[in-house]
Amino acid sequence: MAWRDGPLVRWLDVRLLFTWPAAVVAATVVGLPLMFQAARAAIANVDPTLEQAARTLGSTELEILWRVTLPLARRGLLAGLALGATRALGEFGATLMVAGNIPGRTQTLPLAIYDAVQNRHYGDAEYMVLLVTSLGFLSLWWVRRLEQSGRPVSEPRTRQRLPRDDSPALESAP
Amino acid sequence: MSTADGPRLQVDVEKQMEGFYLAVQLEADTEVLVLFGASGSGKSSTLDAVAGLQHPDVGHIRLDGECYFRRPRPPATGPRCNLPARERGMGYVFQNYALFPHLTAEDNVAFALRRHPARQRRAGELLERMGLSSLGGRYPRELSGGQQQRVAIARALAPGPRVLLLDEPFSALDLALKARLQGDLLALQRELGLVVLYVTHNLDDAFAIGDRLAVIQEGRVRQVGSVEDVSRHPVDEHVAGIVGVRNLFRARVTGSTTEGLFLDWDGTPLETPQPLPPSSVPPEITAYIHPEDVKIIYPGVPLMEAVRHNLVEGHVVGHRRRGGGHLLLTHLSNGHEIEVAFQDYAYADLSLEPGQTVQLSLRRDAITTLSPHH
Repeated sequence: MAWRDGPLVRWLDVRLLFTWPAAVVAATVVGLPLMFQAARAAIANVDPTLEQAARTLGSTELEILWRVTLPLARRGLLAGLALGATRALGEFGATLMVAGNIPGRTQTLPLAIYDAVQNRHYGDAEYMVLLVTSLGFLSLWWVRRLEQSGRPVSEPRTRQRLPRDDSPALESAP
Repeated sequence: MSTADGPRLQVDVEKQMEGFYLAVQLEADTEVLVLFGASGSGKSSTLDAVAGLQHPDVGHIRLDGECYFRRPRPPATGPRCNLPARERGMGYVFQNYALFPHLTAEDNVAFALRRHPARQRRAGELLERMGLSSLGGRYPRELSGGQQQRVAIARALAPGPRVLLLDEPFSALDLALKARLQGDLLALQRELGLVVLYVTHNLDDAFAIGDRLAVIQEGRVRQVGSVEDVSRHPVDEHVAGIVGVRNLFRARVTGSTTEGLFLDWDGTPLETPQPLPPSSVPPEITAYIHPEDVKIIYPGVPLMEAVRHNLVEGHVVGHRRRGGGHLLLTHLSNGHEIEVAFQDYAYADLSLEPGQTVQLSLRRDAITTLSPHH
């Protein structure tokens, strides 16, 4: 005998399947790793001396997080959010699986494009593709701007130059 | 503020660092104590330990009789304490200022005054005290290095600390600015009755600001004393090297009388008026002479008493300007090199081009011997 409802439903009464929150979960799951990477880099980039300074000025660790670390990592956090959102914009498979494809309720742009192509409404599909693409470009442009204007705030990191494969040092003697 | 039992700040800490063992004992009163040493000698770690940013393995730190840190050496037991940095209330001025870039100068100064009823007014007063009253609305990146440093000092003083710790505070500033800031800092220290620990590797800084000097090398305090005392009478050749004593040399002791000491520096006979107790005359000794005390002899002119001794011939190998004078590097007939310093107006009629042969006198009363290093 098969269980019709899983433990989430039976114990917690969480019914997500085929609702718009399910689409949000799917989008979050695919966007999170990108967001996380950018956020981690931004927080690691905050000069630890500033946190030390806050410590000598009487701040608790929580205050340091709110008043120093997060404000200084703000641009990086926003950039990460935008990257994650951009990635989520193209999410297709997981959304179809957990949220279904219910027009007006759980249909996302990529699913609508899929439907349009299936139904040979190529005009509609093209407009939607254009929309998704420009949203993506817009978001990436904004990320780039955030990252550029954020540079003077934190010290520029010296980039280490790795020797190139074709550098003379690596050539073997004949 | 000073308590009955001893100096206000007492530091005795040990910590295994990367590459060396830190074991520092220091005491400071209402004064400027300069921690002097090369980078990596442990002076910044000492400062961090006092501030509570690093925790020693064992030892104790006390301020005005209060326990800030105490962890007895393993066999011993006793009460422990370790106040976190935020409760130590010590002003810390970081090497690169460490101003919060997302806050204005005024908000930087007011950072520690969150629960202060008149925080904006107090921050304004401090900025005015540092001569920055018109710049309170600027962000750190809009301020010059000297202005940033003033903001950093004002910020450290905002919560009213009893101790001010400075880590190479003026190393990035030009000389004139540095002198002015050092004057301001000294005035503040006197006015507020602060215990100031000032870390530097620059001897001129130490001279300009220090009441006392603690020479730190490889994690240990080698010598503590007044700045003049340490630089004039370094306790051993290591300290002499660290505080920048020039013209160090090792010589064989050929005789010791009540008149003084007779030395043989690889073929050059020298004498100094410093007698040694007969029981402790070592076969070899380290000595130095300040470049100012090496005199150039005019050929064919009768010698004055002061330069009649310790004559040696050499030839000029280098020459550079230093402050208001010259520094001449000469290669001596005994194979060693010695520096000669003199003022602009001296020896104007002598040719001191590289290659030129010169007669030098190492002033008898200026040769200082160091106790042998163990």
